[in-house]
Amino acid sequence: MNSVILIFAVISAAPPRQADLVDFDTEVAPILSKAGCNAAACHGSASGRGGFKLSLFGGDAAMDFEAIVRDREGRLLRFDKPEDSLLLAKPTGMLEHEGGFRMEADSEFAGLIARWIAQGADRHMRFELEDVSVTPSHHITSAPAEFPIKVTARFRSQTGRSITRDVTRIAVYESSDTSALDVAENGVVSLKRRGRSVLVVRFLSRVLTVQVSAPLADAPIESRDAIRVNWIDDEVLTTLKQLRIPLSPQATDAELIRRLTLDLTGRLPTPDEAERFANDKSSGKYEALVERLMQSDAFDDYWCFRLMSLLRVGGSVRDEQANSTYANWIRKQITDRRALTEVATDLLVAVGDTHENGPANFYRTGAGARKQAEFISEALMGVRLRCANCHNHPLDRWKQDDYHGLSALLANVEAGQTVRLLKGRHVKNPKTGLDAIPKIPGEQFIEPDGDGRVDFAKWLTKPDNAFFGKAMVNRLWKSLMGRGLVEPADDIRATNPASHPELLTRLEREFWTEGARLRPTLKTIVLSAAYRRSSRTRPGNENDDRFYSHRRPKTLEAEVLVDAISDVSGVAETFGLLPEQTRAVQLFDPKTPSKSLDVLGRCSREESCEVAAGAEVGGGLSARLHLLNGKLLNEKIASPSGRLQKMLKQGDDNRSIIEAFYWQALSRPPSESELSYWNHEIPKGPDRKAAFEDFVWSLLSSSAFSNNR
Amino acid sequence: MSNGLSRRDFVRVGGLSALGVGLPELLRMRAACAAETSISSTKRCVLIWLDGGPTHLETFDVKPDAPSEVRGPFQSIATANAGIRICELLPELAKRSNDLAIVRSVTSPLGEHNFGTHYLLTGYKPTPALVYPAVGAVVAHLRQQNDAVLPAHIAAPRFRVGGGRFDGQGFLGPAARPFSVGADPAKPGFGVADLDFYPGLDQDRLERRRRFVKSIEAFERGSESGSMPDDPHFEQAFRLVTSPKAKAAFDLSEETDATRNRYGRKSIGQCCLLARRLVERGVPFVTVTNPGWDTHQDAYTRLKEGFAGARVPVGLVPSLDLAVSGLIDDLRDRRLLDDTLIMVMGEFGRTPKLNTSGGRDHWPRVFSVLFAGGGVPGGQVVGSSDAVGEGPKDQPVTPADLAATTYRLLGISPKHLLHTTDGRPVKLSAEGKEIRELVG
Repeated sequence: MNSVILIFAVISAAPPRQADLVDFDTEVAPILSKAGCNAAACHGSASGRGGFKLSLFGGDAAMDFEAIVRDREGRLLRFDKPEDSLLLAKPTGMLEHEGGFRMEADSEFAGLIARWIAQGADRHMRFELEDVSVTPSHHITSAPAEFPIKVTARFRSQTGRSITRDVTRIAVYESSDTSALDVAENGVVSLKRRGRSVLVVRFLSRVLTVQVSAPLADAPIESRDAIRVNWIDDEVLTTLKQLRIPLSPQATDAELIRRLTLDLTGRLPTPDEAERFANDKSSGKYEALVERLMQSDAFDDYWCFRLMSLLRVGGSVRDEQANSTYANWIRKQITDRRALTEVATDLLVAVGDTHENGPANFYRTGAGARKQAEFISEALMGVRLRCANCHNHPLDRWKQDDYHGLSALLANVEAGQTVRLLKGRHVKNPKTGLDAIPKIPGEQFIEPDGDGRVDFAKWLTKPDNAFFGKAMVNRLWKSLMGRGLVEPADDIRATNPASHPELLTRLEREFWTEGARLRPTLKTIVLSAAYRRSSRTRPGNENDDRFYSHRRPKTLEAEVLVDAISDVSGVAETFGLLPEQTRAVQLFDPKTPSKSLDVLGRCSREESCEVAAGAEVGGGLSARLHLLNGKLLNEKIASPSGRLQKMLKQGDDNRSIIEAFYWQALSRPPSESELSYWNHEIPKGPDRKAAFEDFVWSLLSSSAFSNNR
Repeated sequence: MSNGLSRRDFVRVGGLSALGVGLPELLRMRAACAAETSISSTKRCVLIWLDGGPTHLETFDVKPDAPSEVRGPFQSIATANAGIRICELLPELAKRSNDLAIVRSVTSPLGEHNFGTHYLLTGYKPTPALVYPAVGAVVAHLRQQNDAVLPAHIAAPRFRVGGGRFDGQGFLGPAARPFSVGADPAKPGFGVADLDFYPGLDQDRLERRRRFVKSIEAFERGSESGSMPDDPHFEQAFRLVTSPKAKAAFDLSEETDATRNRYGRKSIGQCCLLARRLVERGVPFVTVTNPGWDTHQDAYTRLKEGFAGARVPVGLVPSLDLAVSGLIDDLRDRRLLDDTLIMVMGEFGRTPKLNTSGGRDHWPRVFSVLFAGGGVPGGQVVGSSDAVGEGPKDQPVTPADLAATTYRLLGISPKHLLHTTDGRPVKLSAEGKEIRELVG
């Protein structure tokens, strides 16, 4: 390393030439990130540390420059002896520093900072960052392995010239899983385990990711399993081939009709439907089934239910009339096949009496402009803007201005039973202490006087919007495939890359070309071979939870499970004073009294109902206890008006009872060995009734029933 | 530690390499050692989780000399230990300070409920790559006996923490998920739902149902080799329902009024009483959750009075005072205190300055955690915060350190390895340093 003294000797001899001037924004600021000075636990904290506050991860160069040069009368810098400046003496360990030792006194970084101070510590703004790239961005190797990456930044100089610089040594690296992948400060990556790992690269405000794949097996997968139906399968298959994860075969007819009917309509197929599908020999029967289900009322009910969960209908508003108006409006949007962009626009610009105008209820969801802004960002953009309330988002592009800007845009909304627009209301931006200026997140400030909601809605629903389409298709994918391409589904950001980035982009593009509607996206996904794979694993793919080598079984949602139990048992669950045939998915009020729904773990809709992929919905042991020993199953099975007791009473034989319940619950007939097992277990005589009750109970308690496989 | 080597022995074994024991032998001894000492303890834990982020300045880290906006609305009082002062709303705990170890220098960078909760309860910062299990889930996982009638980790009234996104099980899967009692023991008619036989059912019929379900699952799997593990919740539910002993554990009517009163009649107190009944019956980990500590506004009423104008204060802090002191006394009377670790904590502390709504906002940079029982030397304060309770002044303790300390106090090696479903080894605590003042 060059001696710092030597550099000073040279530059103090003559004034520095323009080309030698150290640039604060592009040369000094990255060092503060690289050394961790501006991390959340250090000076990047909302109130700084030790009286010195930097912007979190260097999000605000102007503020950092002020803090270093002007705060506390410039005490941080010593122009006579730059290396003795507090700015250097602390991190190099010359003075006591709570943050410890951050860099060598004779390092290149310390030398650069010293040179900048010696030159007068100006903010020249000589360069502006234009672009950052990293090579390779996807590396396929074997594990363990070591390889270098290279990060290049392109700047535009004041004179408009473009220059590129290798910034590998000063970029910041973060491994998403250090037990699988490590990266040295100089950009050398070591992969420790097989599988797919992601490395996040940060330079100034830009974030990039590097995907590293190491095949999980030595032998390539057999190509006969690699079935392609549509473009969905392209990237799914490529990834599986790269990682050499064996594929499960396609599911059987019985599995498919049960899966598809549950996924699209939240119901079990009737025995009739299941039998007809099984006996149908035509080649297009699956596609025909998709069409039929999408036209059904049950489809509208179920997707209304899903939309109500997303919009948290009834979560915090205790106003039955309003909630029912809202729910009816939502259902009409599904029935009328309106574009989701139109639905979003109607919600965003709504005013009026919430008892009469459904979408106006949207503004009663969050208590106040800030909460509403958080809700909007999560539900409609799939991002967590709320992190930017107190500080710029640590892992994303969001700044406090964005958070408070979106809140400011909603400040004039008064949301009581009637939602109206007032004038002259504000929210404070805690950073400036002033009224926040309305702003489209990540974009321009807007006129404080108009109805900013209209501008926001226009921006959000334009086909090139980077958030809306992505958030919607990612959720639809998750609801069918069991895991979002981005997970958690409401945390989309550059530092949380998609498992299949090209697939997500293509889905998004299709979403827009198909008019931003619900059904076409669902249809494309369910037609793919990836969707139709069996849930039975094969040796080598048991642990795959994100590459779709086999179907990921999903636990039925509480509402769907209760409805399914009603259908199979033939005894409807009743909900308070609501009409008898009301189904659980039709309830617009998540507080409708129902012990079964509570125990089985329905979403209260007070917060996001987004469930982490892999998390088991339902109440665990409490739910099991209820199913085993509670009212839900036992009462229905014993009810004289229920399917079992009726069949027993009319003297049906064992075979017809067993077959009927297999078709009802599992959408297939019992096999011969199953039949003989039950025939053996069900005694004649007085215990026959109890034994059949236990049979039905067991069927409804099996994981085969309570999962969508 | 009943069998195998004690921790001191372990240290000696570690030193043997210098005396010529070869590395493979050493590793073998170490492995044997870890296997025997990591889970053989009988220690139990009651974790009292103050959900929302309890204020440190109005509980265990008072600042009587700070300006009023820092000091807050309450005075400090002396305790049985000279030099240790705590909030005036904790008079019962002040009398029992000989049993308390207060850590005043806990520090974390995470000021959001879900994130902070994950860090405090697991000892790991949240990452998208892996959800870690809560300490209680790990203890349950290591200590659950296959035939135990009571679940190894029980939450009262329910496991709802930090905004509700964390269910505690982490990568250990549903078997490690805490069992939520599901009802508040402070309410009249308290009982665990669905514990008594449904009319018409009996032991024989439940046995048959269990057999039937197993058969259905076996048929579903078809000819595939390898047997699927039984659904752990089903098995547990079955044992609970068929055991009169298990049912009795939840029956608070067996307690006298005097006992019920010494814990205070609020939810936190009665949950602590239930916790005592459970640890008494060998449940290794009980989490008591107490909501409401996210006191952004109106801290005076919420912390002290409970409702405006209350004659007898029934707010969060006085209720905590009664609950914890009642638990300490009761456990001591039953000679269980040394075997039962009590911890009191939440996801972060609160801002040093009162805000304009008379509350305090989230503050993770320094806050306090309380330890009692479980062999922890009492009458001590570990670490300190600066003059205004803004940052740690000395001996900063991270949530990872807390987790490592908790494992050690429960007789479990923090370096014990768990395995994720895809076979990746994860230490119980990778980076945590045990707090030496607590582990002795």
